[in-house]
Amino acid sequence: MTELRFCKRCLYGSDHPLGLVLDDEGICSGCRIHEEKDQLDWQERWNKLRKLVQPYKSVGNAQYDCIIPVTGGQDSYFIVHTVKNLLGLKPLLVAYNKHFNTPLGIANLANLRIRFNCDIAIKNVGLRTVKKLTRSTLSQFSSIYWPILAGHTVFPVEAAIRYKIPLIFWGAHQGLEQVGMFSHEHEVEMTRRYRKDHDLFGLEADDLLSIFDTLTESDIWQYRYPEDWQIKEVGLRGIYIGNYVRWDPKAQHEEMARLYNYKGAHLNRTFDTYDYVDCFNYMDCHDILKLFKHGYSKVTDHACREIRHRRLTRTQAEALVRAYEKRKARYIPQFCEWLGIPEESLRFLLDRARNQHYWYKQEREGWVFQGWSTKRVNILSESQETRGLTDIHAEFVAHSTLEHDHDPKYIVIGKGYSEKISS
Amino acid sequence: MLKKRIVGVITVKKGWAVQSIGYQRYLPLGRPETIAENLDRWGVDEILIQSIDRSTANQGPDYDLIYRLASRGLNTPLVYGGGIKTREHATAVISKGADRILVDASFYDHPEEIRRMASVLGAQAVIASVPLLFTNSGIALWDYRTQRSRGWPSACAGLLTDSIVSEILVIDKSHEGTPASFDISFLETPFLRGSSLIAFGGINKPCQIKDILDMPDVTAVAIGNFLNYREHAVQELKHSLPKGSIREPYYELLHS
Repeated sequence: MTELRFCKRCLYGSDHPLGLVLDDEGICSGCRIHEEKDQLDWQERWNKLRKLVQPYKSVGNAQYDCIIPVTGGQDSYFIVHTVKNLLGLKPLLVAYNKHFNTPLGIANLANLRIRFNCDIAIKNVGLRTVKKLTRSTLSQFSSIYWPILAGHTVFPVEAAIRYKIPLIFWGAHQGLEQVGMFSHEHEVEMTRRYRKDHDLFGLEADDLLSIFDTLTESDIWQYRYPEDWQIKEVGLRGIYIGNYVRWDPKAQHEEMARLYNYKGAHLNRTFDTYDYVDCFNYMDCHDILKLFKHGYSKVTDHACREIRHRRLTRTQAEALVRAYEKRKARYIPQFCEWLGIPEESLRFLLDRARNQHYWYKQEREGWVFQGWSTKRVNILSESQETRGLTDIHAEFVAHSTLEHDHDPKYIVIGKGYSEKISS
Repeated sequence: MLKKRIVGVITVKKGWAVQSIGYQRYLPLGRPETIAENLDRWGVDEILIQSIDRSTANQGPDYDLIYRLASRGLNTPLVYGGGIKTREHATAVISKGADRILVDASFYDHPEEIRRMASVLGAQAVIASVPLLFTNSGIALWDYRTQRSRGWPSACAGLLTDSIVSEILVIDKSHEGTPASFDISFLETPFLRGSSLIAFGGINKPCQIKDILDMPDVTAVAIGNFLNYREHAVQELKHSLPKGSIREPYYELLHS
């Protein structure tokens, strides 16, 4: 492992799992690419997007122009709003049932369909298959989220091929936003390579089949990426709106809450209240695994994003990271019940994921953390802050809770609980 | 007549595939082996891995990377460059799984060692990297170790006239990573005349590629960053070039 260095502007370290390059001034590639947000002519880029989608508009409004993958959280409202209301396209919404659905996420998804009056197709892989796959990915490479990431990224492509719809809209490119993998002007599009390399940890569905595991082809075929010739035949392209719109998730979520009643909620392990409110596990067990494996957790991603948008200083961001990253997961019992394993077994599997670069075990104290935040020693004394964490928290609105007045149980089938929010 | 080639370039820095812009600015891309696997599936004609920090760090070739690439079972010929200084390095790179080697610093520093490499591997397995730029006094070589331009070492001339290297990778250093900006005049540099040339640096547009491939000394066009922006970038490019001059695009069947 090479020497861990940190960006002088944000909190990211040089061993970021997506890759990160620090330049001669000690600024990371993510911060450098973020500078483009204040340099590019966004009206010009928006006009470029309008021109790009023009050939995809059908005449007579009798067929779908494009596909939008959606969830009951994150950026779905903003993407649908942009594509349907601002670009004037007719989208087919597609959703992969992640099985860890929160009541709030299902409510948000139902409200999305109603408010935008869109058709939706939901892929619901059999529960026993998903559980078997989750057990395997957890034991093989310490991920409970591989099936969700694989399903969420393959179903839109399958649907596009099945219905011969040659355009998919995604929100922002994660690699661009976090580590500056591409310039906005590269206009990077969806690729199978990126999906495998980064979304799926370098492992596609067939790579999970092993003589040392019980998975068979019937367990993984739903997650296989379509053939190249099928994509070619449809002429499929996956566009990232973030290349053409100045991407700012906090501002976008606030606008969507105001316009369409999108609801956020407090999350136990980060200050952001808008992302991932659709899942009991993303900001919980999955985030714990991220901390164990990579030495930092989602709150660092949120903090870096807010530094770059100049809403947090580095000192405030560091204080937030330290306040959240060691918080315990809240929904472990639900996950163990769903997976059918005792909590002790899960604890064993989670501990096995601890990266020795970031954790070591002491006989009396147990596991000791030596991840990113423990190495950034001087940041808290960089400046005297006048704004406390309470003020910062007030800027992220929780409209509801993940439970949304229901029990903290997974909503397995998305029937929709729209009676309380559709008006 | 041999068909001309589209070479996919993967630039590696600290073990990570990066976009390189003018040999000065780098953006992370991903695992080199996943990108190589993808280029292989897309039907690129050759894959060139250039590990750009091995020589400066005096680390020798990245054998672990070559092994990881070779273990993917790629069908595409693989060229490796980075840290190759001796004949032993060169033979080890080939034995670990590369088909050819790319030499840069040692081409200028130790021409006699290049002769020894070619005597063992054959000249067809040796490519020389020649990064060029314009200076006030004309075309000059770029030395990435000192970050300065330099003149053409006379000792290298013999390596070309004696056919010790089979091809020259002509790099437009200043335009690397900038779309459609390759300066075609580098391919007419007097000291390269008569050699087989691979053009690289700022090449992405089909009309530009066609013009370059039409030049008699050019055997291939190498493309790096631009192959990472769109699905089927290689096939799309080949579709837009005149038929016959290059290998036809194809779409691999995996499960059907």
